[in-house]
Amino acid sequence: MPLLHIAKLSKRYGTDKYALDSIDFTVATGEFVAIIGPSGAGKSTLLRCINHMIPMTSGDVLIADASTKSMNATQLRAHRTQIGMIFQHYNLVNRLSVIENVLHGRLGYKSTAAGVMGWYSNAEKQQAVEILQNLGLSDHMYKRCDQLSGGQKQRVGIARALIQNPKLLLCDEPIASLDPSAAKIIMDTLKDINQRLGITIIVNLHQVDVAMRYAQRIIGINSGKIVCDAAPHSLTPDIIHEVYGSEAGELILDFGEQHAHA
Amino acid sequence: MQANTTIIVRPWNAATVILRTTIMSLIIITGYAFTTFNTRDVDFWAGVDMLGSNFSALLLTPYLKNITFDVMIRNLFITIGLGFLTTIFGAAIALGLALLAAQNLAPRWLTVIIKGLTAFVRAVPTVLWVLIFAVSAGLGSVAAVLGMTFHSAGYLIKAYAESFEEIDNGTIEALKASGANWWQIVFQAVLPSSATALLSWTFLRFEINFSTAIAMGAAAGAGGIGYDMFMASGFYLNLHEMGAFTYAVLAFAVVLEAGATRYKASLRK
Ligand SMILES: Nc1ncnc2c1ncn2[C@@H]1O[C@H](COP(=O)(O)OP(=O)(O)O)[C@@H](O)[C@H]1O
Ligand SMILES: [Mg+2]
Repeated sequence: MPLLHIAKLSKRYGTDKYALDSIDFTVATGEFVAIIGPSGAGKSTLLRCINHMIPMTSGDVLIADASTKSMNATQLRAHRTQIGMIFQHYNLVNRLSVIENVLHGRLGYKSTAAGVMGWYSNAEKQQAVEILQNLGLSDHMYKRCDQLSGGQKQRVGIARALIQNPKLLLCDEPIASLDPSAAKIIMDTLKDINQRLGITIIVNLHQVDVAMRYAQRIIGINSGKIVCDAAPHSLTPDIIHEVYGSEAGELILDFGEQHAHA
Repeated sequence: MQANTTIIVRPWNAATVILRTTIMSLIIITGYAFTTFNTRDVDFWAGVDMLGSNFSALLLTPYLKNITFDVMIRNLFITIGLGFLTTIFGAAIALGLALLAAQNLAPRWLTVIIKGLTAFVRAVPTVLWVLIFAVSAGLGSVAAVLGMTFHSAGYLIKAYAESFEEIDNGTIEALKASGANWWQIVFQAVLPSSATALLSWTFLRFEINFSTAIAMGAAAGAGGIGYDMFMASGFYLNLHEMGAFTYAVLAFAVVLEAGATRYKASLRK
């Protein structure tokens, strides 16, 4: 049974041209999917339609074959708690401590009052500590987030998503603001989460070489349309060219190097 | 290459024309005023001399005559109390309404209505609100509290709402995406992120309300040190006593400023 089915999904902002145009694909449980494409292709829009942060114009998003098209507020909340999200700019509450930020991932499961007051159960706190340990952040647990490096902040972002016990992790350009070594740690972490915990991952990426190295499957988007959906090894320079259009020149260089290293 | 063309750095446009006309008019008006003052034959230098002696009476030889030191301190605290109470009331009202006036937290139509209403409340000066409330409450402390609270709320709603709007929308998005609801987002992300800004605005408003409270003591009969100052200047014509009150007010202002600076620094850590 597929975990996620995107069915003829279209999105139009106002009266602009379609940002997503009849997107159709299926993701099985445990897959690691990379979505590549030039900026403005519709990658972020696609991820945000999956967890209904952006209302879709037409089509449907099905989780375990169940439509999510018309949900009431409670169902929407339940839907979102199953899906973790990671952002380019981490989107942490900088003034709060690392552990407080991680525990924010539990808010979706809590009553309004408990969430407002920040009352977390011992089991939740225990889980937060364990996740932070696994991500190598136990020394920073009580630091304020604005004292962390970019790579550490992104790991806090991952911890916040993991404590949701999500079935699916959506990552919107998680390494676009990081230096290469921090980027590698984050991508390795995502890979580990995928393999060890079996959590399905969809990650938007700018860098083709990173997508080829980590993903099992690459979906290329251009102008809101899927132009390729294939395993990394079957990507050819021609396909990359089609995904990136005129921007492709330098990318093909990376692509050649990638094959040389492999 | 373009030796003959003059390069215009600041071209004439509507903005520069208005600016220059304004400055020219101000210069002309000032010149006109100075040449046509009715000086009633008072010599300019004699006037300066008297101003100097008045200031030295005020600032160099302060002493109390008609009230005791204890009474002055008590009345100072009445004024502080008026400023404090109206700030707290205003802040409490503002906190709730500002959440509904911030564009990242409330529907647009609601923010427009609330911001419009508060703009009206702020456009009417505090003193006028006090006088308006005096119609039903009678001139005195009740009217002062109501009027000052009203204007403080209008001011703080705008200030708080803008502080909320300035916080990173990404954090709101992140919590929403994890299933958190509006109240949880407000208390877990919005308020922690804007706490120092809210506090700065509240302190600033307290400073404003403290000085307004002095004026209200005299103008609206709200009591406190403002009323003592009114009596010293208008009734006893005693500049020395006026000086003592001035120093009392100044001392409190310094304490307030120092306290606010420290408190904000400790929050930022
Ligand atoms: N909030 C918005 N309002 C209007 N247009 C938007 C909005 N967000 C994105 N778009 C447009 O939708 C298209 C896809 O954007 P996006 O999903 O952000 O692309 P990507 O993440 O691939 O760079 C772009 O043309 C962008 O200008
Ligand atoms: Mg994007």
